[in-house]
Amino acid sequence: MTMSSTLNIQNLTVSLRSGLPLLRQVNLTLEPGEVRALVGESGAGKSMIGKAVLGTLPPATRVTRGQIFLRGQALDHLNAAQRRHCVAQSAALIPQDPLTALNPVRRIAPQITDPLTRIHGWSAERAQTRALELLDRVEIRDPARVMRSYPHELSGGMRQRILIAAAFAPSPPLIVADEPTTALDVTVQKQILKLIRELQKEVGTAVLFVTHDMGVVAKISQKVSVLFQGRVMEDSTTEAIFSNPTHPYTRALIAATPSYADPARSFSPVPPELIAQMKSKIAQEEIL
Amino acid sequence: MFLRTVLSRLLTTLVTLFGVAVVVFVLVRVAPGNPIAMMLPPGASEDDIAQLTALYGFDKSLVEQFFIWIGGVVQGDFGTSITLRQPVADLVLSRLPATLELSFFALLIAVAIGGVAAVIGARRRGSPTEAAVDLTSGAVLSIPDFLWGLLFVLLFGVLWPVLSISGRLDPRLEFDFLTNFVAIEGLLRGRFDVAGSAFSHMLMPALSLALPLAALIAQLLKQNLKEVLIQDYTTLPRVRGFSETQVILRDAMRNAALPTLTLVGVQFTFLIGGTVIVERLFAYGGLGNMAIDAVINRDLPLIQGIVLLFAALFVAINLLVDLSYTLLNPRLRHG
Repeated sequence: MTMSSTLNIQNLTVSLRSGLPLLRQVNLTLEPGEVRALVGESGAGKSMIGKAVLGTLPPATRVTRGQIFLRGQALDHLNAAQRRHCVAQSAALIPQDPLTALNPVRRIAPQITDPLTRIHGWSAERAQTRALELLDRVEIRDPARVMRSYPHELSGGMRQRILIAAAFAPSPPLIVADEPTTALDVTVQKQILKLIRELQKEVGTAVLFVTHDMGVVAKISQKVSVLFQGRVMEDSTTEAIFSNPTHPYTRALIAATPSYADPARSFSPVPPELIAQMKSKIAQEEIL
Repeated sequence: MFLRTVLSRLLTTLVTLFGVAVVVFVLVRVAPGNPIAMMLPPGASEDDIAQLTALYGFDKSLVEQFFIWIGGVVQGDFGTSITLRQPVADLVLSRLPATLELSFFALLIAVAIGGVAAVIGARRRGSPTEAAVDLTSGAVLSIPDFLWGLLFVLLFGVLWPVLSISGRLDPRLEFDFLTNFVAIEGLLRGRFDVAGSAFSHMLMPALSLALPLAALIAQLLKQNLKEVLIQDYTTLPRVRGFSETQVILRDAMRNAALPTLTLVGVQFTFLIGGTVIVERLFAYGGLGNMAIDAVINRDLPLIQGIVLLFAALFVAINLLVDLSYTLLNPRLRHG
């Protein structure tokens, strides 16, 4: 861990008010320009990490332990307004569902340029130019017309591309991509992934990529954190995870990925014995 | 498509107004009380009664009377007031501005108070502040407009007489009005003493009418804001650095205003209905006050004229609400 890390999470524990932990002592670092995938089943806490960083945890949850450093700045030392400012300057979000993430009664233009002019202090012209440039970059035809449109006039794929453009517009050091392709159909998924990867390289942004799809992990990330019940089971490079997974759960997740080459082996579920074993191990550690 | 909507809307409006005309015409005639008897001194001869009855056409059949009246209405002739002996159209139009100014001033107050309370409640949702907003609006809502009026008269007219409790304007003011919109005309022509006097005369009746509506707006808008604030599209601006208040005003308000608007439109027509009693209470020279006089005096043509005008007003307000709904909601604009 160095102060130059874009994101550094130490011992982060997030719990429900009832005390049930959703994240258990999560450690994670993200170096500048690096892509780290967070994988795991539904409910493993992968989205929760992104929410803890961005400060959008649900009201019923709270951080009970640990610290988050965003570009060396400890977030828990800041008051609400400072934290909001710090996150806005350093991070952006590509949301999961493009159909609900845009305000239905506002045109696209202000939804991209508002943060640039009002939070980052850009001039209106600069924000407008940047927005058009990025819309063009995410392969939207006739960006000027799209800027004047309302969300309901655009397809899901287009809306996700707009959201990607909006996230990259201020060239943030960190982007949290919260399952950005799950709500899209398969043909669009590929283009979206390709765009995120390309823009990430061009802008030099570090990306925390939340997904449950090992196929996506292989395509986009350099590092992987495998989560189970709010705990990091394995933290390694993507290469190592696929060539030599050390944890049986990681092996099971890889095996559960559909494969065109070997259809017979596709969709083999994670063995229930393994899950039961891991649960009891976590429960034991909780007591100790 | 748009033209068809407008046409069908106009047609329903005409049918509605015709229905209102029939109902009010029949109602005022089956209700007890004879306008002719009100006009004549006690002990008038049979002959006098018959003459006067014929003069006003009350000797003809109900159907005949109706068609004579409605025939005039179509040409803009609403008949002549029995007590005031002036054309009903002139009387009613001279009083309409007073009621419009009062109602819209009340609406403005209601939206301002209710809106601010809703934003504060939504901003501090889950805190004692929200509970206080709920409690206050609940209490305010449970008191009807005329009771607020009486309370205000007692407080600011009797105990601590700071506001004028009757009329529209200080009679000592000298000003040549071009219209009967005294407050607006005073403002537009730069006579702020006139406008000030008009607004201070309107303040108590307007507040009486506004408070229940304000409480309703506070409750409804707050609820709608809270529902919008858990939507996905309010997360993004928060992450991007906008404060909760900014998110409420810039991102949530228009979405939350849409469902609120429909109900406020309906409630505003109730508010206008409330002017009848509240205007009486403050001796405010509007339509409502005139309506009560007309009913007391059995001035049938005048009652009919006023009721028709109120009906037209309600229809117009509903139309306005629908239009602004379309304007606020881009998803309805093409279709």
